[in-house]
Amino acid sequence: MDPARRLGPAQIDVLAQLAVATVLLGGIYALISVGLTLIFGIMRVVNFAHGEFLMLGMYLAFWAFVVFTADPYFVVFVAIPLFFVVGLVVYGLVMRGVIHASHNVQIFTTVGLSTVLQNVALVAWSGDFRFVRPWHLSTVLRAGSTIFNLTQVVASLIAVALTLALVAFMKWTHAGRVMRATAQDREAATLMGIDTDRVYRLTFAIGIAAVGAAGVLVAPLYSVYPTAGLQFVLLSYVVVVLGGLGDMLGAMIGSLIVAAVEVAGSYFFGVAWKEIFYFILFILVLVFRPAGLFGQRGAETLGV
Amino acid sequence: MSGLLRARRGAVVVFGLAALTPLVVRDAYFLDSLVLILLWGALSAAWNVAGGYAGQVSIGHASFFGIGAYSAALMVTRFGRGPWLGLLVGVVLSIGAGLIIGVLSNRLKGPYFALSTIAFSQVLLIGVSRWRGFTAGAEGIPVPFRSGFATLGLGHTGWVYMALSVALVCYAVEVYLERSRVGYQLAGVREDEDAAEALGIHTRKLKVGAVALSAALTSICGSLWAQYVGFVDPTYVFSVDLSVRFALNAIIGGMGTALGPFLGSILITSLETYLRATFSNWDARFAGIYLVIYGTALILVVRFVPEGLAGIAARIRMRKAHA
Repeated sequence: MDPARRLGPAQIDVLAQLAVATVLLGGIYALISVGLTLIFGIMRVVNFAHGEFLMLGMYLAFWAFVVFTADPYFVVFVAIPLFFVVGLVVYGLVMRGVIHASHNVQIFTTVGLSTVLQNVALVAWSGDFRFVRPWHLSTVLRAGSTIFNLTQVVASLIAVALTLALVAFMKWTHAGRVMRATAQDREAATLMGIDTDRVYRLTFAIGIAAVGAAGVLVAPLYSVYPTAGLQFVLLSYVVVVLGGLGDMLGAMIGSLIVAAVEVAGSYFFGVAWKEIFYFILFILVLVFRPAGLFGQRGAETLGV
Repeated sequence: MSGLLRARRGAVVVFGLAALTPLVVRDAYFLDSLVLILLWGALSAAWNVAGGYAGQVSIGHASFFGIGAYSAALMVTRFGRGPWLGLLVGVVLSIGAGLIIGVLSNRLKGPYFALSTIAFSQVLLIGVSRWRGFTAGAEGIPVPFRSGFATLGLGHTGWVYMALSVALVCYAVEVYLERSRVGYQLAGVREDEDAAEALGIHTRKLKVGAVALSAALTSICGSLWAQYVGFVDPTYVFSVDLSVRFALNAIIGGMGTALGPFLGSILITSLETYLRATFSNWDARFAGIYLVIYGTALILVVRFVPEGLAGIAARIRMRKAHA
């Protein structure tokens, strides 16, 4: 039964509730997707293992909560440097060798990585569904005629803050400019003395740090299990394609659109059908605007 | 004819051994492995038609497998008709789905195409899981066993020959794509689409055709698999893991080679059977170990031996010829 009906029409304004829910969900989706779009935009690699790093972030939150009773919203600040290092290691071991390889090689390398990570998690922690239940999950916030859970609000705020910090980093720091220069023209960047291998390493590590942090943030809101990444990664593909592959601001807008589709779909048709709406949206976008809503037409046929 | 046989020595050995095995071996466990090797090989060969020969790399072929499996299972359980009719319906539906994906492939390249195929299989997964009244949802459907050819209730020996026939059909399609005009045109499209188009090749038609043909073959294997295993459930038949598996055998064996998918299947399926037997008395989750191994194998093969087993064999032959 949906919360609006349970509480009665007098207490909650359905439209306002749906709108705020969309923004909260969209904020989290943005952080999940921004790493994917960053890695794609600069390295030209679609990371099919993206969801598995999210899953690892969720397990980090789970174990930190069980072993140290650490709140996920403190753990997230540990997760960022930790996943940054994970990103560096995975880049060195796996990605570095295929960065100049064909699409097929890149696709199957990251698909293989995804299979490995999923099953390492399965072997290490079993397929049981785990739950992270910090105290704030049962704290309810009321704002005007809408009602929310504290965990969701904090998760969304941290996610938006991190996403904006990343956008600012890309826009205003030297490293960010170097990364964007590499994205625009790999050869020209090399000629200007940019060490592209270092740029790719940094990009991959930042992308993984972002999605790892996102994993920690969403852990209390969803169940944690080895293939938990799949549902999110498919959704972040939708976001990234909507926003235009490689476009960070586009990804943020894409997140809101996907969140809106999900929130409205669950409200009007039931939670069971929510995913089907964004996949249909995904296929429609791929057919009619494959370069994204704001992307340049024709980008997809270059195979970039 | 004898020239063809000599050129295809590897295939004669592989399929010949498969045909002779049931005459000698009666061990049900061994025959079961053989059926699976042939079926997985046929599935990878079907994938290879789109992925290897036409260059349309899909990670959503489980869509067609699932359509085939569900058509056969539902035809038996819901409509009380034979699985053969279900197989036929599956083929028609898969060709339809293949045409949709094929049309997508005309607009999308590389990772975009791969993503759209995953999305397609996920839509089917969700649809079938939620449509409880007809498909029985996530619980899946047990397919009843009724002895006889018309109901595909065969013994182990019967299944070996059934799987072998499908494997040979898929292999024959691959050989056709290596030797025919259409096959050469397809190779042209795969290597350089613009150049192929400039030479007057209908690149769009060819790509769509290859994907639809690949879909039809995959669907046939899916229908047979449902009858062989006797159980279908959406989370398995539409899973991304399954799609990856089709691709994996072909990549390990050698993409775009006719025998490659079967060589890959021999290696991967026996490895799986062996590991499953070894770890089965451990905790159930240790089944994950073989997936870790094959994920690692996938990463290493695409990086270091992108031409696969068939490619290595060809290299050795070349070296011998030169020596």
